[in-house]
Amino acid sequence: MFAAEKLITVPFDVYRYDPTRGGEPRYQHYELRLAPHTPILSGLLRIRDELDPTLTLRYSCRSAICGSCAMLVNSKSRLACHTPVGPEVAEHGRIVVDPMRNQPVLRDLVVDQKPFWTRYEQMDPHLIPDPLRPMPEGRPTQMTPAQVDRFKETPRCIACASCYSACPAVEADPEFPGPMALAKLYRFVVDPRDGAHKARLQKIQTSGLWLCLRCHLCTEACPKDVRPSERIRDLKELAVRAQGGTEPGSRHAIGFMKNIEEAGTLNELKLVRQTSGLSGMVAAAGQGIRLARKKPELLKGPKTIEGIAEVRKLYAALEKDEEVPL
Amino acid sequence: MKFAYYPGCVAQESGKELDLATRWVSARLGIELVEFPSFSCCGSGFLDEANGILNVALNARNLAIAEKAGLDLLTICSTCQGMLTYANRRLENPTVKARVDGALAPLGISYSGKTRVTHLLQVLTEQVGADRIRSMVRRPLTGLKVGAFYGCHLLRPADEMRSESAEEPHSFEDLISALGATPVLYRGRVMCCGFPILFVKEPTANRIAGRQILDAKAHGADAMATPCPLCHISLDSFQNKVAKEVGEKLDMPIFHLPQLVGLALGATPEELGLPRHMVSTDSALQKLGGVAVPA
Repeated sequence: MFAAEKLITVPFDVYRYDPTRGGEPRYQHYELRLAPHTPILSGLLRIRDELDPTLTLRYSCRSAICGSCAMLVNSKSRLACHTPVGPEVAEHGRIVVDPMRNQPVLRDLVVDQKPFWTRYEQMDPHLIPDPLRPMPEGRPTQMTPAQVDRFKETPRCIACASCYSACPAVEADPEFPGPMALAKLYRFVVDPRDGAHKARLQKIQTSGLWLCLRCHLCTEACPKDVRPSERIRDLKELAVRAQGGTEPGSRHAIGFMKNIEEAGTLNELKLVRQTSGLSGMVAAAGQGIRLARKKPELLKGPKTIEGIAEVRKLYAALEKDEEVPL
Repeated sequence: MKFAYYPGCVAQESGKELDLATRWVSARLGIELVEFPSFSCCGSGFLDEANGILNVALNARNLAIAEKAGLDLLTICSTCQGMLTYANRRLENPTVKARVDGALAPLGISYSGKTRVTHLLQVLTEQVGADRIRSMVRRPLTGLKVGAFYGCHLLRPADEMRSESAEEPHSFEDLISALGATPVLYRGRVMCCGFPILFVKEPTANRIAGRQILDAKAHGADAMATPCPLCHISLDSFQNKVAKEVGEKLDMPIFHLPQLVGLALGATPEELGLPRHMVSTDSALQKLGGVAVPA
């Protein structure tokens, strides 16, 4: 038998807001006596069932599988069912619960996930067979372990939208589809049974792929280690290799690669031209001149590194390396 | 303390003041910086998007240079820190290592994976230590409220960076306190500055930078400080355009990490390259009662 866990006092400050009634969002304070291992979700449900039936939240499986109870716990993305109260109280003295970000609040902790799902649907997240290579009828298609390995992380996604909530690109630009949508897209791009790789890459290059900031906030927020930022990186490399520099984002990546090959170190001025072309240089000239007044090095360009020949040999050896992604 | 000094590209060009301040502070604190003119760019995350294996190989070459000299590598840029650490991590995968070794071997370069990559912030807080820095402060930054801005790649992905908590870091705030200033806590301190898409879609990048500056401001920051020169480009070099984008006056001085340390240790603004900033740091210096160092 385990020794009975000592109960602790758990102060909750829970976000309350009902947009249909107007007014300002507020925090409501509740206190419970709970064992430290109690999941935050269980605490919230006890508040709802015993103290305040008006508290509104979304949940289902209580087992970190359905993805319904993602919320902010002391400002961190968490599944409430999978986060014990004890460490949060020890660290912060209380538990502040907020709804996820980047999605409008419907009521209290429940957000409107429609934009999140719409963007997912825009990725055509299903196999599109190649008409020239129809799937065999009456028996399963087979994949090698190596082929499955390329997308082993993405099926773990439970669509909790924690990544979407954490993403600064989603927050700043409606064009960005969000980390989950892109990670799912990646899954179909590298699926050997899918026949629409090229079209998928082409479409996403012009609809937000290059707005990913690779800040890894999504990977940090993901409770299932899907690592969306790394899948987006893979998508970018696949797009660059398949289609070259068709967009400012891919031009910048390719420009950067060529830039380093020349001197081994970055030529900031030249990079602007490589990404934006001459017209871009003209558009950026005002800011460039302002900067160069204080930072004259911008106009001089860098000194070539010692051993640039080694760098160029590495390029020669690996530039055409077809084995992608890492 | 002796390191292979990896200044990174920007600190040797438009962010030269970061290099100046690093050298000044290192000399004061007994950190020996050994230079290697053969270091290349870390790829800054952009090369990784174009060719992942080349990115790892290029950084393996950098790491091998330090390993051959028997030195750990000191970075002063969150992105360099991230890319070099990422390379170390990727090279733990035998398949990746074999491909990279195959490209390095013909050049007579080998890398066994020993080089530790350390950012200046980590050296200051973990090796020099807050107590020693506190004891060397000549001009306490008393009364100055500073918002730390970590830069993504120093923290994330946390399991790869193997650093402090990525969600609730505190090393930078501890250092700010040791200098006599008051750290300001705000959500934006662990957010993105927008730099990676500054040349892809500038208005969006500027909105992101603006959000973090406004957040720091709303929490009472007189100034922000960053351990990443790319964040400095977004927050300082482009602050005029950021202000226009968000439609608000910002006037937020942005210090490079070693500039803030140097200021407290008694350096002059010129020694730290402060006049090179696009946003004047005068308002912060005035809070400290001007630039004169008390005798």
